[in-house]
Amino acid sequence: MQPNTLVVLLGTTTLGLCCGLVGSLLLLRKRALLADALAHSTLPGIVLGFLIAGSQSYWALGLGALLTTLVAAVLVSRLPILTRIRQDSATASILGIFFGAGIALLSIAQRSGPGAFSAGLDHFLLGQAAGMLQSEAITLTLSATVVSLIMILLHKELLVSCFDSSFGKGIGMSMGRIDLLVMLILAVTIVISLPAVGVVLTAALIVIPPATARFWTDRFNRLLTISGMLGAIAGAAGTLLSSFKVDLPTGPVIVICAATLFSISLVVAPHKGLLGKRLRWIQRKQRREMQRILIFLHENLHAGNDFVARERILAGSLNASSSALRLCILSGYTEMAGTHVRLTTEGIRRAERSISARNRWIQWLDSEAEIDRNLIDLDEEDIEKLLDRKSMEIPPVDKGATS
Amino acid sequence: MSETAIEIHDLTMAYREKPVLWDIDVEIPKGSLCAVVGPNGAGKSTLLGCVLGTHKPSNGWIKIFDVPSDRSDELIGFVPQRESVDWDFPVQVLDVVMMGTYRRLGWFRWPGKAQRDWAMECLSAVGMAELHSRQIGELSGGQQQRVFIARALAQDAKIILMDEPFAGVDAATEETIRTVLADLKKDDRTVVIVHHDLQTIEDYFDHVLLLNLRLVAAGPTKTTFTRENLLRTYGGQLTLLDEAAEAVRRIRSGRSIRKSGDR
Repeated sequence: MQPNTLVVLLGTTTLGLCCGLVGSLLLLRKRALLADALAHSTLPGIVLGFLIAGSQSYWALGLGALLTTLVAAVLVSRLPILTRIRQDSATASILGIFFGAGIALLSIAQRSGPGAFSAGLDHFLLGQAAGMLQSEAITLTLSATVVSLIMILLHKELLVSCFDSSFGKGIGMSMGRIDLLVMLILAVTIVISLPAVGVVLTAALIVIPPATARFWTDRFNRLLTISGMLGAIAGAAGTLLSSFKVDLPTGPVIVICAATLFSISLVVAPHKGLLGKRLRWIQRKQRREMQRILIFLHENLHAGNDFVARERILAGSLNASSSALRLCILSGYTEMAGTHVRLTTEGIRRAERSISARNRWIQWLDSEAEIDRNLIDLDEEDIEKLLDRKSMEIPPVDKGATS
Repeated sequence: MSETAIEIHDLTMAYREKPVLWDIDVEIPKGSLCAVVGPNGAGKSTLLGCVLGTHKPSNGWIKIFDVPSDRSDELIGFVPQRESVDWDFPVQVLDVVMMGTYRRLGWFRWPGKAQRDWAMECLSAVGMAELHSRQIGELSGGQQQRVFIARALAQDAKIILMDEPFAGVDAATEETIRTVLADLKKDDRTVVIVHHDLQTIEDYFDHVLLLNLRLVAAGPTKTTFTRENLLRTYGGQLTLLDEAAEAVRRIRSGRSIRKSGDR
């Protein structure tokens, strides 16, 4: 690996971190599209910077980009206040207008601009980290670090501004200043990410990491941390992958890496992932069925039938699944005798526990109208734990009454 | 009770050219439980916003405990309308309550153990300590309201504003909120609540503020919450008018029955 690659790698990694952090704010403010609009509105600035400076100097292009982005930011935030245009329409219009102007300027520059240099402007569309100069990479690293530090220091003000800005105003925090700061941070982040990720895909690197992080946590600080880390991983991995194959532009590869992390999280994240949800659903369903089987057998036992045909459990009014029955047998609550099933002593005890817990639970629900939606579907173990903790006044139902 | 918590003078508030509040003059005494009542679009939430400082009045001034509101250090608690909160937001109950300590912390400083302990204490005060690590969307309606009340307690707010805490809650939740309100009053805090249900005003509040762009009447519920004042507040809106009259009639008779029962 060349030393230059190492510097570039450092740059794109901190960039990813910075994008992840800033993106969390946009996600929480429900303004993800803003990143896209601002990123696209850098294009006219890049070309203008190039035309005015007459060279592809990093600073000229960067300043031009920052300027048009800030103009776009002001327009997006002011138009909905000053006119009847709604926020989403304003954002989408600004994106189109600025990007269109940028493309038009770009073709003018390529035709009449100062010679061979103008061809290189294409790189800003999709990003080409491998072509970055060392000085560019260092500027990138420094700016990304500064932005990240500001965000870490101000995280509590940022939390308030995202969650409840009228509360923030009420306690004397200047929400206007914070909004301005967020806009500024966003504009800077977008501008520094242009050489690596490009105009078209910067928004993806800003939006995907926080959306991924949301699968893993329910807390603001952790969302910022995880989102920043995911961004950094995507930045590093994307740069490495695209530097092996030089003809691959960096931007798309970084975004594909971020998208891969997103897909993995979508499936495997413990609480919100699809897999975990599905498994919990199946487990819950099976426990409910087991409970029903045990209670059914218990009722039969009291009616004098120790043994119940397997078919009656699976196909009769109970219509239980065979896997739930198998689980009952495996747990030692029931035993098979030929084609018939009966409760073991352990099973009888369990069924009685179950019935008594259910009855107590219904009484509790009747007495306490403030029902927690998460709590209604429980099995006996949960109910017993919960009711003991709440030190219920309702006495345990005595067994004679239930049977 | 003679001390004044909130004094509003000549307040006019306009969005663009349209006035939303016009020439409001009112004093809300310390320790009162005050309902702000009026038809839709009467400017009730805007009035709260002006007191809180989120809306800048076009004319007039507000004093909080005799200090102009923009210079006042007094913290005002605010319990927002249920629909205005993003319940999906990644914050836990304790995080929300800790926001109440941010003002005293100042810029850049992070909340620490002291703030955490204080927030837990405030949560216990509303009976929510054991739910401190829940994400706010996992709570029931009454619990959600109590989290925001706990945040106001964490601010040590002497004045608490609530925007329709009783909207769309079931009877049990309503009872819970009432208990918390009674506790707040016991602490001599001033609570101002936007309220819609005319039938419960007499039972819940000792002060009312009748509002319809202008101030119709304000004062102790017994003398202010009258049929004439309600008719003036709800003006030409006939159905509401009947409802209001009905509400007053029903409650007046209910109260007299209860009184005779007490004796």
